Amino acid sequence: MGLALIVLIAAPLVAGLLSLGTRTRRSMEWLQCAHAAVLLAMMSMVVMDVAEGSVITVGILLRADALSAFMDLMLAFVGATGLLYALGYMGEEVTRGHVLHRRYKRFFCLFNLYLFAMLLAANVDNIALMWIAIEGSTLSAALLIGFEKTKAALEAGWKYIILSFVGIALALFGTVLTYYASEHVLGVSMEALRWEELYRVASDLNPTALKLAFVFVLIGYGTKAGVAPMHTWLPDAHGEAPTPVSAMLSGLMLNLALYAVLRFKSIVDRTVGVDFTGPILLVLGLLSITIAAIFLLVQRDYKRLFAYSSIEHVGIALVGFGVGGPVGIFGGLFHMLNHALAKSTAFYAAGMVLLRRGHKTIERVTGLVRQMPLVGGSMILAALALAGMPPFGLFVSEVLIATEAYGQRPWVAYALLGLLAVAFSTLLYQVSRMALGEPMEEDIPVTDRTRRFTTSALVVNLAAMGYAGTHMPGFLRGLFIPMTRFFGVIVEIP
Amino acid sequence: MIESAVIVLGQAVAALLVSPFIVGLIRKVKARLQCRRGAGVIQPYYDLLKLFRKDVVVSTNTSWIFTATPYILFASTLMASLLVPIFLSKVPLNFAGDVITVVYLLALGTFFLMLAGLDAGSAFGGMGSSREAIVASLTEPAMILSIFAVGLTAGSTNLSTIVHKTALLQDIVTDPPPHLMAFVALFIVTLAETGRVPVDNPATHLELTMIHEAMVLEYSGRYLALVEWASALKLLLFLTLLSNIFAPWGIATEAEPARMALGVLVWLAKVSGLAVVIGVIESMFAKLRLFRVTDLLGVAFILSLLAVVFFYILRV
Amino acid sequence: MGVIHPDIASQMVDLCAALLLLTCFAIVAQRRLSACVDLFALQSVFLAVTAALVAFLTGIHHIYIAALLTVIIKVIVIPRILKKVIERLNVTRELVLNVNIPPSLLICGALVILAFYITQPIISLGFLLTKDSLAIALAIVLIGFFTMIARKKAVTQVVGFMVMENGLFLGATAAAYGMPLIVELGVFFDVLVAGLIIGIFTHRLQDTFDSVDTSKLTELKE
Repeated sequence: MGLALIVLIAAPLVAGLLSLGTRTRRSMEWLQCAHAAVLLAMMSMVVMDVAEGSVITVGILLRADALSAFMDLMLAFVGATGLLYALGYMGEEVTRGHVLHRRYKRFFCLFNLYLFAMLLAANVDNIALMWIAIEGSTLSAALLIGFEKTKAALEAGWKYIILSFVGIALALFGTVLTYYASEHVLGVSMEALRWEELYRVASDLNPTALKLAFVFVLIGYGTKAGVAPMHTWLPDAHGEAPTPVSAMLSGLMLNLALYAVLRFKSIVDRTVGVDFTGPILLVLGLLSITIAAIFLLVQRDYKRLFAYSSIEHVGIALVGFGVGGPVGIFGGLFHMLNHALAKSTAFYAAGMVLLRRGHKTIERVTGLVRQMPLVGGSMILAALALAGMPPFGLFVSEVLIATEAYGQRPWVAYALLGLLAVAFSTLLYQVSRMALGEPMEEDIPVTDRTRRFTTSALVVNLAAMGYAGTHMPGFLRGLFIPMTRFFGVIVEIP
Repeated sequence: MIESAVIVLGQAVAALLVSPFIVGLIRKVKARLQCRRGAGVIQPYYDLLKLFRKDVVVSTNTSWIFTATPYILFASTLMASLLVPIFLSKVPLNFAGDVITVVYLLALGTFFLMLAGLDAGSAFGGMGSSREAIVASLTEPAMILSIFAVGLTAGSTNLSTIVHKTALLQDIVTDPPPHLMAFVALFIVTLAETGRVPVDNPATHLELTMIHEAMVLEYSGRYLALVEWASALKLLLFLTLLSNIFAPWGIATEAEPARMALGVLVWLAKVSGLAVVIGVIESMFAKLRLFRVTDLLGVAFILSLLAVVFFYILRV
Repeated sequence: MGVIHPDIASQMVDLCAALLLLTCFAIVAQRRLSACVDLFALQSVFLAVTAALVAFLTGIHHIYIAALLTVIIKVIVIPRILKKVIERLNVTRELVLNVNIPPSLLICGALVILAFYITQPIISLGFLLTKDSLAIALAIVLIGFFTMIARKKAVTQVVGFMVMENGLFLGATAAAYGMPLIVELGVFFDVLVAGLIIGIFTHRLQDTFDSVDTSKLTELKE
């Protein structure tokens, strides 16, 4: 099983290097399809194994417990559909002459390296190596965001660089502080950096140092997750990046950053008790939702619209984690999973709209359902999911979080529901304006070759979105139970 | 009693004799760095002798301040240098004043010099005086604070006590960060107060670049000699402060002739070393524009403030 | 290591850390971009010396490698990249700052005090050798962060970021006795790539916007 984990992590790296050597689009397509298949296969093996209760380790470097396997599930699945979608999208750009094959290769190389960095970060048993991997994903993301060399893209990329680098540096300081504290118990060695060892000795660590470390880590990795007030780079970056990249950023990177915060939270909770991290996460979560809800009202660009929606959902997840308790934690985790699926679907649809209409202005887009039924339909479905409608999973998680919040502090629940209502109506209003009605503009056709990829990506994502919301398959249950136990709570899931 | 008088006299003589040498040394270093031979190191002595023999020319528009200032300046600077430990840590006159006295004696001299600059009624003098006012007002807090930073660890503002305790390392914990900052702050203050590049160019007579030179432009003969000597004395005083407060080892802690002789030699070495450093710095940098000088002095102030604050943070 | 009295050893490390802090102030007080880059290189030299000193005094030899890498990457490579950027962009000084120099210096002083105050409770945890280093490291990180906010030119913001990294390295080395070698290598690699990417970006910024004044980046707004 260790081998499956290694292959899972190494596959994107290998694919990235190989993609630099492809000569034609066709060879790249074969390569990336194979890559996607390998990702899905390996991921299934890893998840099935961990869901049965074991923890996969490879020496002292890699460790896949339930939380890591959960992240692998998201990363590999959305990564695979993202690859398919990217093949279609970037292929179209090549056909239209916007992108030369040289840059097409570079794009996929960076895209693959980005996936590699994220997979590594989720599975490595070392707080510092995790930092290095997340920094690596930031670096590749920066190049991907500024990929189209327009003024707006460069500005977005620059803001992303500045804010992300600062955030990462603060997160490193938090990491160093944790190491500083753990050295006293575990000695000056590699052991002091390992998650496994940290869990073991958590109650012996110095509380003040860990509290301080958590604050830095939260600010640092929180910046990468788009937590307000450090979120200002997010709408620009997600709006200006090439759409496959936006999907990856919103769906995966934010969750990975939350994963990092959660890892630290689980240690700090064991050292100082749950009452330290809970309120902080709660406040930041509510702040994020508030800011997102306000700015959602004034959006004119549909990619930025979805970007702000991401901020909102990160906020909801944070509220879930902040509220805590079995239901809160489960709600937060479930929310992360469903958001990844729904947001990537939304971006896939948005990307198709961009390809076929040529601009990002909401006002000028109408009648999607009539002109491009699949795209329009999926955008409406994704928007319904994001807005928190049943039968999608986000509804379940939001209700669970609100319920738990009500049990602890009623005003939180009221605030949450009020803000969600605002976001709900805004999002649905904007999207229905785009999807329904009569088409006003010409449709720029897209080649069949492209359509093959993008459609399959969309359909698979939609199916997953629907399934995840209504079923709880055995392997997921097998992951959730250990994960909630991880945070110190036991839960039974029907 | 006699012994103390002799020591005080010795200190006065040492300060007076060595100060022109320091000025000459700095000029020599600059000349060498500019690939010139330069005048000899003892040239300033010849200059002073020459000036004393010359006639005085005094403008009819001036008041008593103009003629009195050189004497006041010289006297106050000499007094201040008698309070600073040069080769003996417990200076006989230390009952008469501490660091604040020194600072204000120097300020007295500067004040009168500024008035004298205004007195002659020329444009240059007025301009020099106003610029000197800016610089002096900014250096004063930095200077006091940086010496306080060391004084706090010694538990006194009396210069002799500070130097004595530091030299013997009695109940002193030398703490690098604040002392380093205080040293840098005092060094910047030295450059500002003695009119060295990058604050003021001592060799210039261009109207836009003068501060100190502008104030003394009207002086001639023995008045000019006294003013020049006083400014050399001030430079020596600052260099002595820099070396003896932060690194006094080598100074005589008891009034024994042998140790005092050693103290004189060590002092000469330290002060000459610092003079060479100043010469190099003067050659490396260009003079700053006046409103950039405030930035530089701001740095000095912050550093000295931090040095003082560090003391409380690290002890409490 | 037993050769030097622990008190003196600790003071030597403190001295180096203080020199680092001084260069931070010098960077904040500077307007000329090439001077900022030179001061950063000087700071990295002091950092390497500190690391070597810690390695010598504690006997943890792999810190020597980290010190060597610091010299190579932060004293030679990155300043060279930045100097090239300055040359090509033909920008030499910051004329208008977001926060002027005297208030900046005051704020930096306050940040140092803040850093000491925050780390006060955990300094006692630290190894005897390096008590103050953690506080100074945090101070340098905060000052670097402040520099990034207070300046407009992209190059100075980059220098601010690199100063933050220096502070982090000081924290990891002096306060935590260095992380395992593989981790240090990874961090250096990341910093190097970050520097390269920033170089690429400033290039593209110059080409597209004809300036690296980041206050001109105002297209994306609500």
